[in-house]
Amino acid sequence: MMASGYNAKEEDGHHSGAPGNGGAGAVKSKKPDNTAFKQQRLPAWQPILTAGTVLPAFFVIGLIFIPIGIGLFVTSNNIKEFEIDYTGIEASSPCYNCAQNYSWNSTSSCTCKVPFTLEQPFESNVFMYYGLSNFYQNHRRYVKSRDDSQLNGDLTSLKSPSKECDPYRTSDGLPIAPCGAIANSLFNDTLELYHLSNGTRTAVVLMKKGIAWWTDKHVKFRNPGGNDNLTLAFQGTSKPVNWKTPVFELDPNDPDNNGFINEDFIVWMRTAALPTFRKLYRIIQKKVDAPTLASGKYELEVSYNYPVRSFDGRKRVILSTISWMGGKNPFLGIAYITVGSVCFFLAVVLLIIHHKYDNRCSSADIPN
Amino acid sequence: MAVNEVGDVVVVKEDETFPCDLVLLSSSREDGTCYVTTASLDGESSHKTYYAVPDTKAFRTDREVESIHATIECEQPQPDLYKFVGRINVYKDTEEPVARPLGSENLLLRGATLKNTHHIYAVAIYTGMETKMALNYQSKSQKRSAVEKSMNAFLIVYLCILISKAVINTVLKYAWQWSPDRDEPWYNHRTENERQRPVVIRAFTDFLAFMVLFNYIIPVSMYVTVEMQKFLGSYFITWDEEMFDEELGEGAQVNTSDLNEELGQVEYVFTDKTGTLTENNMEFIECCVDGNVYVPHAICNGQILSAASSIDMIDSSPGGYRKEHEDLFFRALCLCHTVQVKEEETVDGIKRGFHQGRPTSFYISSSPDEVALVEGMKRLGYTYLRLKDNYMEILNKDDEIERFELLHVLNFDSVRRRMSVIVKSSSGEYLLFCKGADSSIFPRVVSGKVEQVKARVEQNAVEGLRTLCVAFRRLSPDDYQEACLLLTQAKLALQDREQRLAQAYDAIERDFVLLGATAVEDRLQEKAADTIESLHKAGMKVWVLTGDKMETAAATCYASKLFRRSTQILELTKKRTEEQSLHDVMFELSRTVLRQRSVSGLSVDCLDFGLIIDGATLTAVLKSGPEGNYREVFLEVSRNCSAVLCCRMAPLQKAQIVKLIKASKEHPITLAIGDGANDVSMILEAHVGIGIMGKEGRQAARNSDYAIPKFKHLKKMLLVHGHYYYIRIAELVQYFFYKNVCFIFPQFLFQFFCGFSQQPLYDTAYLTLYNISFTSLPILLYSLVEQHVSMDTLRRDPSLYKDITKNSLLRWPVFLYWTCLGVFDAVVFFFGAYFLFDNTTFTSNGQLMTTNTQMMFGNWTFGTLVFTVLVFTVTIKLALDTHHWTWINHFVIWGSLLFYVIFSLLWGGIIWPFLNYQRMYYVFMQMLSSGPAWLSIILLITISLLPDIIKKVLCRAMCPTPTERAQSNRPCLTVEPSSIFMLSQSSSRMSF
Repeated sequence: MMASGYNAKEEDGHHSGAPGNGGAGAVKSKKPDNTAFKQQRLPAWQPILTAGTVLPAFFVIGLIFIPIGIGLFVTSNNIKEFEIDYTGIEASSPCYNCAQNYSWNSTSSCTCKVPFTLEQPFESNVFMYYGLSNFYQNHRRYVKSRDDSQLNGDLTSLKSPSKECDPYRTSDGLPIAPCGAIANSLFNDTLELYHLSNGTRTAVVLMKKGIAWWTDKHVKFRNPGGNDNLTLAFQGTSKPVNWKTPVFELDPNDPDNNGFINEDFIVWMRTAALPTFRKLYRIIQKKVDAPTLASGKYELEVSYNYPVRSFDGRKRVILSTISWMGGKNPFLGIAYITVGSVCFFLAVVLLIIHHKYDNRCSSADIPN
Repeated sequence: MAVNEVGDVVVVKEDETFPCDLVLLSSSREDGTCYVTTASLDGESSHKTYYAVPDTKAFRTDREVESIHATIECEQPQPDLYKFVGRINVYKDTEEPVARPLGSENLLLRGATLKNTHHIYAVAIYTGMETKMALNYQSKSQKRSAVEKSMNAFLIVYLCILISKAVINTVLKYAWQWSPDRDEPWYNHRTENERQRPVVIRAFTDFLAFMVLFNYIIPVSMYVTVEMQKFLGSYFITWDEEMFDEELGEGAQVNTSDLNEELGQVEYVFTDKTGTLTENNMEFIECCVDGNVYVPHAICNGQILSAASSIDMIDSSPGGYRKEHEDLFFRALCLCHTVQVKEEETVDGIKRGFHQGRPTSFYISSSPDEVALVEGMKRLGYTYLRLKDNYMEILNKDDEIERFELLHVLNFDSVRRRMSVIVKSSSGEYLLFCKGADSSIFPRVVSGKVEQVKARVEQNAVEGLRTLCVAFRRLSPDDYQEACLLLTQAKLALQDREQRLAQAYDAIERDFVLLGATAVEDRLQEKAADTIESLHKAGMKVWVLTGDKMETAAATCYASKLFRRSTQILELTKKRTEEQSLHDVMFELSRTVLRQRSVSGLSVDCLDFGLIIDGATLTAVLKSGPEGNYREVFLEVSRNCSAVLCCRMAPLQKAQIVKLIKASKEHPITLAIGDGANDVSMILEAHVGIGIMGKEGRQAARNSDYAIPKFKHLKKMLLVHGHYYYIRIAELVQYFFYKNVCFIFPQFLFQFFCGFSQQPLYDTAYLTLYNISFTSLPILLYSLVEQHVSMDTLRRDPSLYKDITKNSLLRWPVFLYWTCLGVFDAVVFFFGAYFLFDNTTFTSNGQLMTTNTQMMFGNWTFGTLVFTVLVFTVTIKLALDTHHWTWINHFVIWGSLLFYVIFSLLWGGIIWPFLNYQRMYYVFMQMLSSGPAWLSIILLITISLLPDIIKKVLCRAMCPTPTERAQSNRPCLTVEPSSIFMLSQSSSRMSF
């Protein structure tokens, strides 16, 4: 009787019902419910990893990984990449003088021209990066030294930036906009590319927009009070100490790329993971009829503003094409091929072991 | 109730609890007795009778009590509940004071409840912390399981790792930033405040910052999860239907959930015999008077019986001499006991009544043997009616009432192993009846058919029956006076009362005439033999500790298959040590055992040994004598015996044995199981104490860690539940350390690439939620429902239990393996991500918003990538370890991965207004929009899992453990047919 009462409870699911059947019920109520869960007898799938079951999986992994790896490797190898170091440490370097004579106070910028030759033409869109080495953008003090609400156009934060920005928070009693160490150390070399052919020097058109995350540009970074009349919006703030121009003059010609939403600035503000890093600088749009960058002589004109010698840094410019999997990255392809091969090899080993030991096991099991 | 001081006179009404230890002065009952239940003290719900001091029992009103002039002397407070020695001097007018002895029958204990008595007057004698109940509190000590101990050891290792990590990083930091351009490059200056701080303080704060950064390596949440696992997991024991006993109406009880996994580690089982191996449902089987055997003709479980049953005689009708002995024998059994008769309406305790046309009455006694004997006598025609005004009334065969005046009761104690009464028959004869163990009666017998009785007793003992011998002695009035004097003197003594009483008893109980013997059967519990056999197969050593005599106990051991026919029995008993010196015996035994071991060597089950030792010899062994220490020899011998029987043990000796084994050099895990108050000390002493909810009260069950209704449930408790709990918690512990190494080690590696600046690799939300929500539920669930082998396999093959003994899943090599696996995985995660990011254009394809653009990834994407791989790897690793996939496992494992993804999407999808940083904004989405990120996540997960899979597969293929063999031998999908049957049955029952 009681048992049926209990089962009723569990079957129809509402626990309030099923009163005990009088006195006898009270005594018997201690009997545990016979449910699959309480008796630990829930139906279950009970897989075990044996050589037999793992074997096919390894073969499949091998078969999938090796082609992917080869694909990645080939794609990566097809990507053309060209890198120039223009730091100017060696005396032979064209930027040697600029690097040696650098001082923060100089008003006129030092310009140097670095010639280089592309052996092969670059097809499709070409991406131009600058690279820094030994620059710790991932230092804790550096990473936190920013005020995201100020960059989001918050007016209160504009006038009183977060404490995290110290010691780049105020200058001469005025709040710095944008505050913090990251903004203060904005990469300010100007790089221009010229194609030298037949004695003429033609500038290569460099796209400066479309290099930042869309969400950063349109949501995370906002100018205070809209994009028009930035001069007014930033009144009462001071420029970062190391900047030559205030934030509202980063790109005076294009209101959509000025102030906090300047894409060079946004790219810089995304702190790099490792001390050697690259950041996207410009995009060279592909041409319809000719290769984007034809083979031949080129000249990189640098206005040398960014000092890296003090911390043994290096500055580079990289030109690269891209593929469906991004830039040049041989690691992924090699890793895939290696892992695929290892799996394949293991599968073979396991096959042998499986046969050898399985036979022995089964023969040993028979007498039992 | 108000605070009592010693000496206060207290009135206690019915159903009230005594506030302190009291000496009963007077009662509302005319005979100066009161009834008390000590259910809350020792769990015995039967009513016990306490007696008022004879000289004060007449004072029944407040005023009268006030007029009492008396002094009480008593001993210092001591914890023994059943011992009390005191003296009361009552002053009446100007006469000499009357001194009366006070014993435990006068002492009402704090915590007990007054029953069936309107009110009593009593005087407080121990109060507060001096009461016996309070003194008994301290004995319970905290038990900690072996798993917990290794957990703590691992924790210390991890603490060292944490501290060394922090120290290494701090030192490296200062070495690295020696040059000021590294310490403070132009782009990253310190604030003025920081600059002015002394270097020592800066270094110290750096050290602390590293500690904070790496502190997640200490799995704090593990302790919470372990507690939850233990608490929730213990419900499976209480829910277990197979451990529910219909008769008792109770299932298994869990008193502490701390020791669940210890159930899977037991190496020694110490079990009580009476009530544990046997049912403790005594049944009178036969009696033998001078070698003639009488058997009650109807045996109906001692419950219902026709009243006028006649004696079924096996031999011819008795002659005159024999007739006299027969009469005396039956009277002796009817008189020589401490059984009380209870009318039904006054009793709500254990029922033992039967109808006789008169008001139903019960026999109640602390000893079930006595009840069985008195009931047996009733079936043989002699009914004990009651004790009234010191007259015992017996209804004899001819329906005549015989009255005997009860003069003295020489109570039973375990040293003498006998009890006596002195009565005066209606014809004025003084008679002393004695019953007791054969060994304590035979030496005192001067006449009677000793040989025949002895033969019968031995035969019965071999059959496993409990035997008692009955003897009597006629006392002349002079003898009686002498005995009276001896007894009163001893009773009045304040010092050494026990000893003097024993001397008095010894002097009185002599020159017996042997009457006969009785045999009472205590049947083996259901499936006791099967359980013991399984425990043996599981590699456990079973020791039976009993107070019973050797022959009886040995018979039970054979019946319960503790000893098999092939077992070679080694005896270490008093009988033997009397012949040889203990020294010789010990060394002879050890030689036998060692020789056997060296000869048999490989074949293990060729011959096994059983050891029998008795209490007296044990005391000698444990006492380190001048001839050297026998402890080690004894341990050596007992280690090589598969079964040991210790008979004639006092409760304290039981605990001593457990302690001895516990302290031996392997430190084995011990389990003690018992049902009576005498097993409590051993239950408390053993690593795991199990109480049987038996007939001798609930004291054992109350003091135990787990209580089960029957001995047979021990099998499932250990072999199934214990095994499961152990592998569950072992995996839980190892996995927790593993997943935290995986979690924190990349962060440690990252410090080498961020200038040792304590920059966290992961976002704060990930740091916080990793242990709390992303990886906690799958392991908790695993630790609740994992069944690596099915329940039936575990039960069928007890030897699987050997696979997990000695904490095998938490040993250092295993721990090292898991930690190395964790470090390996962490290295894979970190350097995998590192090579993707380092100096390459690892970027998003930017398909998300604008086409064909490449976006750069920052440090937060780096961390998120590592973290994603980490969460997936760690969860899938657990999935690979799971052998029992119920729908809940699927739900929780895939659910928590899904939760991680959804959380990350949400966390990065909104500009959270309450945060002062938006570092995670769209990081996760941007990462997922990148093809290489997907490819590398898959690659890194595969690499991290590979070594563990290979290790598992190779181990299984090359040298499978029995557990692994058992796993391979089962069908892949097991749905218990029985449970389906039950479910369908219950649903069909539903229909009406």
